Amino acid sequence: MATDAEIFEAYGDWKSRGNANPRLVRMLRGWDRSVHLVASDTGSEFTLEVRACVLGDLVSGRQGPADLIVTASSEDFADLFWGDLNPSVKYQNGEIVLAGSSEDVMRLDALSMVAFLDQ
Amino acid sequence: MSAPQTGAAGLRRAMGFPAAVSTSTGLAFAALEYLAAAGLVTYVAGDSAWISLLVAGLLALLAWGFFGELNGMFPTAAAIRRYMSRAMDDRVALAITFTYLSTIVLVVAADAFIVGAALTHVLRAPAWLTALWTAVLLGVAVISNLRGIKAASWLQNSATLVAVVATTAVSVIAVVRSHVALVTPFQPLGHHGPAGFLESVALGIFLYSAFEWVTTNAEEVRDPRHIHRGMFLAVLILFVGCSALAVAMGHVLTHGELVSAYPQLYLGRAAWAAGGMWLMAGVTAVTALNTFNGGFITASRFVYATAREGSLPPPLARLNDRAVPWVPVVGLGVLSFLVSLVVLAVGGAAWQVLVAVGAALEAMIYAVAAFCVLRLRRILPDEHRPFRIRLVRPVAWAGLVLFSVMGLVASVSVDNRFSPVPLGIIAVMGAVATWYALVEVPKLRAAEAARMAARPTRRRPARPAAGLLDDGSPGSAASPVRPGPREVDADGETSS
Repeated sequence: MATDAEIFEAYGDWKSRGNANPRLVRMLRGWDRSVHLVASDTGSEFTLEVRACVLGDLVSGRQGPADLIVTASSEDFADLFWGDLNPSVKYQNGEIVLAGSSEDVMRLDALSMVAFLDQ
Repeated sequence: MSAPQTGAAGLRRAMGFPAAVSTSTGLAFAALEYLAAAGLVTYVAGDSAWISLLVAGLLALLAWGFFGELNGMFPTAAAIRRYMSRAMDDRVALAITFTYLSTIVLVVAADAFIVGAALTHVLRAPAWLTALWTAVLLGVAVISNLRGIKAASWLQNSATLVAVVATTAVSVIAVVRSHVALVTPFQPLGHHGPAGFLESVALGIFLYSAFEWVTTNAEEVRDPRHIHRGMFLAVLILFVGCSALAVAMGHVLTHGELVSAYPQLYLGRAAWAAGGMWLMAGVTAVTALNTFNGGFITASRFVYATAREGSLPPPLARLNDRAVPWVPVVGLGVLSFLVSLVVLAVGGAAWQVLVAVGAALEAMIYAVAAFCVLRLRRILPDEHRPFRIRLVRPVAWAGLVLFSVMGLVASVSVDNRFSPVPLGIIAVMGAVATWYALVEVPKLRAAEAARMAARPTRRRPARPAAGLLDDGSPGSAASPVRPGPREVDADGETSS
């Protein structure tokens, strides 16, 4: 079980790498979204915003309405943000649950792919 | 581990019930519907065609029950992979899924060809121009997809409404204007006997097929119940629209018109002369919008996800700057164009072979769904099922047997004659898919595992070994020490 602090730390690393990745910045063009993260084991909730091709800070709690809701274990969130986990496999197994449109899910998957494969 | 459940409640944009109904109806109501309805009429006395569709509709409701239960258990776009891999060996599940996926290629190819043929006919252009129209249509579909353009929900809903309402209205008007009363509305065995009726039911199932593709929208509906309720209403709407279409075609069209590549244009002409023909050409083009939109997105995303899990070559998981898996999109466009070229080159009733293959594959997947329901009831008896089939054993067994028989019947008949060609095509596709799943997938997974193992060390920092984290909370054994090089198992999971 990962603590909220670990998830914040992992996200900070992911955000830095993501915002420094020119390909990811291109992929985020026109995709301003609010994503809610729900840790199924700890009950912790977070919100991350993407605005003007930039990944914003992670904030505790659900802030406003979401475009996407991601539910996973706290360990999976931490591993995912560190780029140590292939989220596709977890998604196919049903351990990561998504709610949102298929286009938004694809964008989020692109984000995670950049983190996972360091592309 | 039981999957965490969540819904789309709280989403800024979520799919409502009307959108679920129109998506389910629109995915089924493709341009190929017109040719399948005309083909059905050649098997059964035209005025009684609605009886075949009623029986097929009742069978479709059986399939609705299966998909409702399975989708309720796995409310995700990846549901088909999840319930099939739980219910059977993963390699068998992959082989079946790949074969099923080929239905989408056939439907997209057939729709592009049908719209192209309809345009050629109304413009009185040379036949070879059909290939050009087909290329242009598929080209537009590919480019739109690559640019991440998806038809807005309201546009999809409107297209479905226009297609179903206009087709039903034209069908009724054509019958009324024929000034001849229905002669044999209650004699389904009148002209062709029980075998012909059985074949017409098998083809009738195809008229409902793809209504279940709406289950891939499970993650975006406001209420999970919208999916199975939407599918139910879609089956009813399809019964009304397709019955009117088939009865009208059987009543007013000649055999030559029925076996053409554009029977709907003749139906339009019977209703409103040249204006009706143009109207139906327009409606045919509108139906293609849903097929191209839904078909391309469904197939390309599925291929992408399968490549991401390591069961298809990695290039199929490449994304363009709009986060679109461009290789599957282009591949689907090219493959569909080649299939439509073959149909054009072979000529005659080649498109009827596509209909037969599609009908057989759909019946097959419905039988597989019945099997999955039975198997999962046995191995996961306590899993949460928001929608449960009553009397599941007799119902699912009946579905398994009936759909298997229907699939077999559809696969050996073309234009009311015995033909092993559809069965041969399915056998080849199934053999290729099986060979791929058994031989190539293990190699791909091993290569992916090796590639992942060669990556640098795990990036996540180690936790304090004492079992207490910096904030004083107890740590887990996940990363007690600074990890070494990654090890990746066959599923792509990393460990240290």
